[in-house]
Order: sequence, then structure tokens, then C-alpha cells
Amino acid sequence: MKSSCRVFMHVRRGSLLALSLMLVSQVMLAAETGTQLQRVDPEADRLALQQYYLKRFPHVPMDEYVNGIYAVDADSRKQWDALMAFPPYEFDLEEGEALFNTPFANGKGYGDCFENGGIGIRHQYPYWNREEGTVKTLEQEINECRVENGEAPLPWKRGDIAKISAYMAFTSRGKRFAIQIPEDDPRALQAYLDGKKFFYSKRGQLNLSCANCHLQGSRILIRADLPGPALGHPTHFPVFRSKWGEIGTLHRRYEGCHRDTRSVPLPPQSDAFRKLEYFQTYMSNGLPVNGPGARK
Amino acid sequence: MKRKMLVPAVVTLLHAQGLYAASFEQVFNEQRALYGKGHEFSYGGKIHTTFHPEEIEAMAEPNAANARALIDGAEALRVESAAVGYEWRGPAIYIRQAREALAAGRYQSAMELAARAKYLARMSLKQYRNAEANWQRAVPE
Repeated sequence: MKSSCRVFMHVRRGSLLALSLMLVSQVMLAAETGTQLQRVDPEADRLALQQYYLKRFPHVPMDEYVNGIYAVDADSRKQWDALMAFPPYEFDLEEGEALFNTPFANGKGYGDCFENGGIGIRHQYPYWNREEGTVKTLEQEINECRVENGEAPLPWKRGDIAKISAYMAFTSRGKRFAIQIPEDDPRALQAYLDGKKFFYSKRGQLNLSCANCHLQGSRILIRADLPGPALGHPTHFPVFRSKWGEIGTLHRRYEGCHRDTRSVPLPPQSDAFRKLEYFQTYMSNGLPVNGPGARK
Repeated sequence: MKRKMLVPAVVTLLHAQGLYAASFEQVFNEQRALYGKGHEFSYGGKIHTTFHPEEIEAMAEPNAANARALIDGAEALRVESAAVGYEWRGPAIYIRQAREALAAGRYQSAMELAARAKYLARMSLKQYRNAEANWQRAVPE
């Protein structure tokens, strides 16, 4: 009886020790992942994401990730290569250039609103605007440019705004994303962290996060679709999507993905989606701009 | 020797705890998935059914007051989930249909639709709380 009591005490003490270790390891895990403002490390996040994909698809060069699913799935790549013999966005690109160069009623144009006349600047977007205390996207500034010059803003998801953005991306092709998170403004880091949290949080009745499909689910069939890797996601937008039959913006895609989880989707250019774009584009730092793109 | 035995014993014990200490929620969900609503099962020495609380609410007398109360309850939870950015598509649709049924005097139908909406809205809030607590687990290191 005495010895069985001693064994029980040993086991109990051992259980408590094991449980304590489990709890401590959970706390340490949370600290390493940088889930709080004091500890979040965007560069560590970016390198960890790259490492994840290097392990997952060891033969895929890093720059290839700008091509989405076509970087990691040979069969999809063959179809895409055939499609790209005559890229479906070419007419939109031509229209985008014409729209970009058409002066507003006041005689000014888009070039007057942007650095370097709006040419070759896509890789700097989105960025943290210190004065306004918010993330600014390229499409947002295209519309702000219009409003400042007495023109009506364009709808966010498709049409002219996507075409103008496509042309601006095209003039930036090959330039590498270099999204900055100013160290002296903690609001910028908070915006990044909010975007990161959005990406990894499960949503909707289907209980899916962005990461479920585009991290763990990269190149794993969801019904008939193969989700592309998260790395390099924003580099090729706007895209001509075969499903849409037209060109559309990144936030149109965000809205669609969000709806697909059976969530009530947030509107394009909402604060949460701009932060998500900030996080995602930072993850693609170092990858070249290759927009506009063509996708299924 | 005793020390060598301690680690496997602890591991076994923890496994055993994991296996046998299923929460009421786990058991409920399992039974619901296996047998659908209205099935009886025992937990903690008591008999329970696999009805969701909202489905039990919908069993009240089908009249305008009860239907309106259930719709209001569902709408309150829907608004709460929208406020935290976790609104699902279902609740608003079912609430609209429940209001139409109420207006047409189809009280039982209105209560069933509102119950469905209320359940989904409650689950969306549960998802929000779960995401707040666990989102970091998916981040690659």
C-alpha cells in the first residue's frame, strides 16, 4: 500500500512537471513567433516563411515564387506557359497606359501625383504613411489622385483602376519589393502585426485562415483547385483571372477569398485588407515585381 | 530503475488523461456528428440530448412573440460578431428569411430559421475567441 502510494506521488509529481514544461513551452513558442508588438520581428517572419517553402519545395528557386502555383506544380505550369504565349491582360495593359496618360479635366495627370511620374514605383507599395497613420496602397493613391484633381474615384475591384494599376506595375517589372516598416513608428509595426494576425486567423463558417489554403494548403487540392503559395502572392497583381474573364485587383481577390470561407467579406481597401497587403508584401520583399499576371 | 519507469508512466498517464478526459463539448459534438439532433447520450452520470440550445428554444410554442424573441436574439449575436470582424454569411440570410416567415404568420418556420441564425452567430463568436487565443500556432518558425 505504502509503495503504491509512493508510485502515485512520483507519477503525480511527474505529471505536474510535464504539465509545467508544456505550459512553459507554449509561452516560449508564443514569444518566438512574435505575436505581440514588443516581440514581433518582420524580418524573422520573412526568413521563416522562405525556409518553410525551401523545405516544402526544395527545388524551386526563390524568385520563381512570383509565379504562384505555376512555380510549384508542373502540370499547371504547362497550361500556364501555353496561356502566356498571348497574355490575356495585354489589351488591359494598353488601355491602362492610355488611361494613365490621359490628362484630367484640369490638365494634370496621374504622373503629377506620384514620385518619378508614377513610373517604376510599384515595388514601394504598400507603404506606411506616417502623417496619416495608416497603410497606403497603390490603388488607394490612384483614387486619391483623381479626387484631388476633381475626378470621381473609380470602383476598387475591376475596370479602369485595375488597368491603371496594371500599367504602373508593368513599368516596375523586375524591381524588387522593398517594403519598409519604420522602426521609429510603432504604429507601422502594429499594422504589420495586425496583417499577420489576419493572415493566420481562421474565419468563416468553413473555419479557414489565409494560411490554411496558402501556406499549409499550397499545392494541395481543394476540390479541383490547387492553392498557390503565400510567398510571392502580391507580386503579380493586378491579375487577369480566367474565372473573372477580366483583370482585377488584389483586394478583389481578398474579398473573394474571404467570402469563400463563408464570411461576410470586408470591403476592398478596408483597413484590415490594407494591413493584410502590408504583411503579405513585406513577406515578398526581395522578390521582383512581375505584375500584371494571368491566373486561373 | 524506478526513475527510468517514471517518464513512460507520466507519458502514459497524460495520454490516458487525454483519452478519457473528453470535455462535454467534445462528447456532444461527436454524438451530434454521429447521430444528428435529438439523440440521447450520457455524460457525467446524466442523460443529455444532441439538440443545440437554439434548437431547444425553437421548440417553444410557435407564436409571434416567441419568434420575435428568437429573431432578436439571433440579430444581437450577429451584430456582435460583425463588430469584431467575424460575421459569417449565414446568419443575416436566415434572419431575413425568419422575418419574412414571421410577417407571413409562419411562426414555426420563423423560429427554426432564427434558431439556425442564432447558432451560426454564436459559433462565429466562438471562432473569434478561439482565433484570438490560438492564431499564432499556425505561424512557421
